[in-house]
Amino acid sequence: MKKYFNILFLPIISASLFALVYIQELKPKLGLDLQGGISVILTADDDTDQELIEQAVEIMRTRIEAFGDVQEPEIAISGENSVLVQLPGVTDQERAIEALGTTGLLTFRPVLDSSLTTGYSPALSLEVNPDDPEDVSTKIKEGVTGVDEVIGISINDNPEFESYILSVSGGYPVIYQLGPAELTGNDISDAIAVFPENEWIVSLEFKEDSAQLFTELTKKLASQNGEQRKLAIVLDGEVVSAPGVAFDVDPSVGITGGTAAISMGNADGGESANNLAIILRYGALPVSFERSSIEKVSATLGEDTLNLGLQAGLVGLVIVSMYLILYYRTLGLVAILGLSSFGLLFYSVITLLGEYQGFTLTLSGIAGIIVSIGLAADSYIVTFEKFKDEIKIGRSFQFAAEKASQDAWKTILTADFVSLSAALLLYVLAIGPIRGFALALGVATIFDLIFTRIYTRNAVPVISSLSKSPRVFFPIKESDLIND
Amino acid sequence: MIKRLFLGSTNVDFLKVGKLFYKVFLIEVVIFLAVLIMSSLGVLPVNLSVDFTGGTTYQLEANYSDEDISEVMNSSILDVSRYQTFDNSDSIIFRATENTQQKETEFLFYLSNKFDVSDENIDFQRVGPTFGDEITSKGLQALLIFLTLVILLISYRYEFKYSIIALIALIHDLLLVFSIYVLLGLEITPSTVIALLTILGYSLYDTVILFDKLNDTVKTSRFSYLSDDSLNKTFNEVLMRSLNTSITSAIPIASILFLGNYLGLSGTLTDFALPLFIGILSGTYSSIFVTVPFLAKIINK
Repeated sequence: MKKYFNILFLPIISASLFALVYIQELKPKLGLDLQGGISVILTADDDTDQELIEQAVEIMRTRIEAFGDVQEPEIAISGENSVLVQLPGVTDQERAIEALGTTGLLTFRPVLDSSLTTGYSPALSLEVNPDDPEDVSTKIKEGVTGVDEVIGISINDNPEFESYILSVSGGYPVIYQLGPAELTGNDISDAIAVFPENEWIVSLEFKEDSAQLFTELTKKLASQNGEQRKLAIVLDGEVVSAPGVAFDVDPSVGITGGTAAISMGNADGGESANNLAIILRYGALPVSFERSSIEKVSATLGEDTLNLGLQAGLVGLVIVSMYLILYYRTLGLVAILGLSSFGLLFYSVITLLGEYQGFTLTLSGIAGIIVSIGLAADSYIVTFEKFKDEIKIGRSFQFAAEKASQDAWKTILTADFVSLSAALLLYVLAIGPIRGFALALGVATIFDLIFTRIYTRNAVPVISSLSKSPRVFFPIKESDLIND
Repeated sequence: MIKRLFLGSTNVDFLKVGKLFYKVFLIEVVIFLAVLIMSSLGVLPVNLSVDFTGGTTYQLEANYSDEDISEVMNSSILDVSRYQTFDNSDSIIFRATENTQQKETEFLFYLSNKFDVSDENIDFQRVGPTFGDEITSKGLQALLIFLTLVILLISYRYEFKYSIIALIALIHDLLLVFSIYVLLGLEITPSTVIALLTILGYSLYDTVILFDKLNDTVKTSRFSYLSDDSLNKTFNEVLMRSLNTSITSAIPIASILFLGNYLGLSGTLTDFALPLFIGILSGTYSSIFVTVPFLAKIINK
């Protein structure tokens, strides 16, 4: 009785797991190469500080979230100095790279007012209690929306509208009231920190098309006074610098030639000048990355490959099954039931892993699965061949089956151990696509061990007691045995 | 003969056959060495994909004429080094050497206009040479650790001499696949590297099962040590298993190749399947015909 339980245990578990997955309409989470999208590998210099890379990854995450329409983006550090960014479903390359923020969400916005003039946020007005002059409270000015009540900073900064933004770059906090963005980081072609004479300056160069915009903007600013002469450089919702337009700029001409110089003083030996130049050049990322690989897969190609993988897997499984039945007859049925349960279990586990652990099925994962069909089939062949050997030397079917399934277990254990260590090694050492393959192979090997131990080991003796004729199990006749 | 094969009661004298296959093995070694030397000297070009050399690929589906292609090949925007078309589909792949981002995007739009395909439907891949280097170095690292592990494992489970024989069989399979790739000028992609690592697993799996069987036979034989008889008995018995295993392993992989070719799809999956297919055949061959002569040598000593 226990034997039958053991035989049916795995097929039933597999079938019910599959039924569960099927009823809940779960599907495996597909990798980018199967559903289309863009994958970018960014590589930093060899000796880059790990912490800086982590910071950069954090910044990229926030950016991509702000980007909006990317479903389940994945950004991960891979290897020592590379970052793998996967944007499934994104087909517009330019936008994707923009989302990565290698150029930065950098904007130039005119300053309308700042806390330097009043001492508190320009979004707030002071209210003095008429009964107690000591009791001063602040209130949001009329017409101002989306601002924090206590300190008066915009809760969500939208560069297209007026906002109130905090700056701590000067060493003390300043809250600026800023107009909508007039220029962005994309308008800059280059920025460097130089020390021509007496003080550090950041020399800024605009792209050809943007130079005129900058001139117009500085014309407007040069006609203003005080805080309103300033142009804020805003990066990811924070003012990094707010230099004023110099007083010798003619309001009717503005700053022309597409270049600008920001005076940075001489206090810190050029550190702040260098930092600002880097921000202007690269955006917010503390590390500069080289795009070492961009791969774009269109949705149709992804779908085609997925179908190819599925069809090939199915065709392979059918032909293998037919072959096993032809050669091993009733034992072939044991193998087929085992292999189908194996397939159902594998599919369910991958789907569930995708649902709860975020495991994505990639092309190389499918390759791993197809390879594992061969491995799993081999375990049955090893057992059956041992069985045949035992029968041939004249053992009773019952004894032969018992011994064969025990011996086969040992052989398969050794051989699977080799596969498993290969899979583990690949997984630990591998980068990118190889990992999916290694994982699929490793999981398949473990399943193979479980099936051999519980299912095959019990099923072969039971099936072998069905008949006394070798023809039921192998393409051999009784007379062949006696002759041997 | 076939019936005997089914029965596992073939009566091949593997010691005799071994001598013949030893000669085949030596010829193979000469060819492998020649290919290795010639490819490292640059006489035989090794066709490495953009992943290793750096550059861009563009893949699209469109109706095209030979003139279109030669026009693209002579395009002044990028240095287009190669193109690839397929019998069963309208896919074209262009490969170009590395250039600036701007030029690459320009070329994308150029292709989009030229073949009247929306630029979103052009598969674009850009790779710096570092990526391929990383895969290669990680692959080599994995290979070394794996081989060390194999020697330790087999020495522990069986005998040190066995592990050397297994190693010879493994390296034989790797070099065979590599030589075929170089001689036929097939493109080596990262998938090929992964496939090579997988072949190691397969080949070793086969060899381990064979050693296991040999161990069994030796244990139950009269003298309990490796003899001509036990060697012959084992190999005769194991023939059918080896055949069956490689048939069942090769079928799913062959179906990727055939379906892929039939549907006119080429990509990572077929890149992966081809070396694997060659490797499985080679692994089956080497687990018997490369190990036999060496095992025979152990007996003679």
